[in-house]
Amino acid sequence: MAVNTRLPKPRISLFSKLKSSKFSSQTWLLLIVSIGLFLFFALKDPRFVAAPSLKSMGFQLPEIGILSLAMLLPTIVGGIDLSVNSISNLAAVLSGFFLVKLLPPDLLAANPVLYIVLALGLALVVGAVCGLFNGLIVGLIDVPPILATLATYTLFTGIATGITGGKTVTGFPDQVGSIGAGTLWGIPIPFIIFIVLTVLVYFLLYRTTYGFKVRMLGSNPTAAKFSGLKNNSILLTLYMISGILSSIAGILVMSRTMSAAYEYGTTTYVLLAILITVLADIVPGFGSVFNIFISVLILQILSTGFHMILAGMQGSSFFKDFFWGILMIFIFILNFFLHRKETQN
Amino acid sequence: MIQKLLRTNEFVVFLILVALCIVIGFINPAFFSISTLFDTLRGATVYYILAFALLPVIIAGGVDMSFVAIAAVSTYATHMFLISIGFEGGIWIYFAISCVIGGLMGLLNGFLVTRFKLPIFSVSLATFTMWYGFALFFIGSTMNFNLPNGAVGYYENYLITVADPQVGKTGLNSSILIVILAGVFIWWFLKYTTIGRGVFAIGGNREVAVRSGYNVKGILLTIFLIMGVLSAAGGVLYGLLNRFFGPTVLQGNALDVIAAVILGGASINGGKGSVIGTLLGVTLIQVINRALILCGIPAEWQKLVVGLILVVFISLPALRARKANKMGHTTAMMELE
Repeated sequence: MAVNTRLPKPRISLFSKLKSSKFSSQTWLLLIVSIGLFLFFALKDPRFVAAPSLKSMGFQLPEIGILSLAMLLPTIVGGIDLSVNSISNLAAVLSGFFLVKLLPPDLLAANPVLYIVLALGLALVVGAVCGLFNGLIVGLIDVPPILATLATYTLFTGIATGITGGKTVTGFPDQVGSIGAGTLWGIPIPFIIFIVLTVLVYFLLYRTTYGFKVRMLGSNPTAAKFSGLKNNSILLTLYMISGILSSIAGILVMSRTMSAAYEYGTTTYVLLAILITVLADIVPGFGSVFNIFISVLILQILSTGFHMILAGMQGSSFFKDFFWGILMIFIFILNFFLHRKETQN
Repeated sequence: MIQKLLRTNEFVVFLILVALCIVIGFINPAFFSISTLFDTLRGATVYYILAFALLPVIIAGGVDMSFVAIAAVSTYATHMFLISIGFEGGIWIYFAISCVIGGLMGLLNGFLVTRFKLPIFSVSLATFTMWYGFALFFIGSTMNFNLPNGAVGYYENYLITVADPQVGKTGLNSSILIVILAGVFIWWFLKYTTIGRGVFAIGGNREVAVRSGYNVKGILLTIFLIMGVLSAAGGVLYGLLNRFFGPTVLQGNALDVIAAVILGGASINGGKGSVIGTLLGVTLIQVINRALILCGIPAEWQKLVVGLILVVFISLPALRARKANKMGHTTAMMELE
């Protein structure tokens, strides 16, 4: 979406000591805010930094985090993907359906691990196909991404609704839960997966030729075209990767809740993912994967923190939304003054 | 003249709409009835007004998400206030208070965008979250079905009534007058005012607009004020027609409205868009959503069919535009001749 046309300005002064670092002022702001919020809640309620609370945060944040990574990729080429959550649900529903309804129960009981791996593979394939479909409509037919992915959002949700008849798929073998609810050296596995994917996306965007092409296409599609880039095929693969990421989020949801539903998260998750990319200051051509990571962290800290200190109050979870909106405006304004200071010098 | 008409995006959307209606009518002849028409118009009322509210912002090159929050929260606040003081009067007080609140909420967006040079999309997402959170936490988290006596009958305030063999008596709700008023106002604003022409200039090329002397800040503030006021009016109608006021109504509809405006030919990059196109875009999405109930498709498969139809129909105008682009200057030459 070409709503954000701010160009990166030369960053001097104020953070002059950190000039050599690659961090932008937005990254510093986000870091300071996240640490500040963390300390605030830790001082307010010591239970916040206790192991159970940290662990539950580690289980909750990866789903929205991975969806935000899936949102990041189209955003960097000036697009948007409203279908991330519906891809995630469709992947979960289809792979759950395969396990519970299509496979004969005795076959599954004989060798559960093999079939679970197959089902997870199926989920990834579903994600790739859905993403490819988005890429086709956006890249080949040239439909504006917001329109294209809104249509596919309806379509993918529709497939999931039709197949399940609107019901939740349950009754998975216990092993399914080992990913979403398991821990490795005390760290929740979903959190490890999220970190790994964040690093992978970083490498894809900043350490490969493909990533360079993607960023070039994002900053100026016309120039990219005339430099001999195949814009269509870049878009196609990018939306496909985004789809695969979404389906991984779906696997985590299915594994953590031991169920698959067409309506999980609905539009809230999509809006959250967009919010995170906006807070992370992702603009066409430029975007820091690390910013996404901290933004997800801030959201989770706010959510868990307010839940803890406002517990028992009516509508306590809604205060987080209110605060989150104000915090975003605050960060934007602060960043405006930082930018101005930089350009004045 | 006719060739020019054929080339407009509005005409393509119009053709799709007509074709769709014929197909539905073929499957279920009951579709071609006055009551279906009135029903569709009634269902679309709120979305027409919200789309009109959003149109100038999209033409100016921005995408706003917060208009639904403005619609919901300004009216919910008004309603809860009026109920708490035991108000029993009519709907005009609702419109008056909500529109003032909505206008101020719109101006807040405008202020943030112009004073701090922030992207419209980012600001609107922040205020979207903020206002819904505000309503839920500070005003109330439940829907309120308790309408004052003066407003409770508005949902059946008909301009014309017709007898229908299937549903009995039905009619054209008078809220359609507000839609017409809003549509004509936006059309006049965009076409005949200096500020309105400036909206197109900003959307086409902001730098050029600044240099040619347009007061960009003033224009942006104006369109956000209009957006706020119209959104609030849409929110009041939503409450009155559905007979309840809630803190989170319309939350999931922001994207639908944006899609309808863009489907109607407005460019997401700004500089292009029309009231007629917007009207057609909203109508098309409404008809698609209603068509399936009439065609007897099982409930659980309806969403899939809506999705399929949407995928096909959004691709058609894009394919046509791509073809026109490929022809490039040849078409331009033909137009010159």
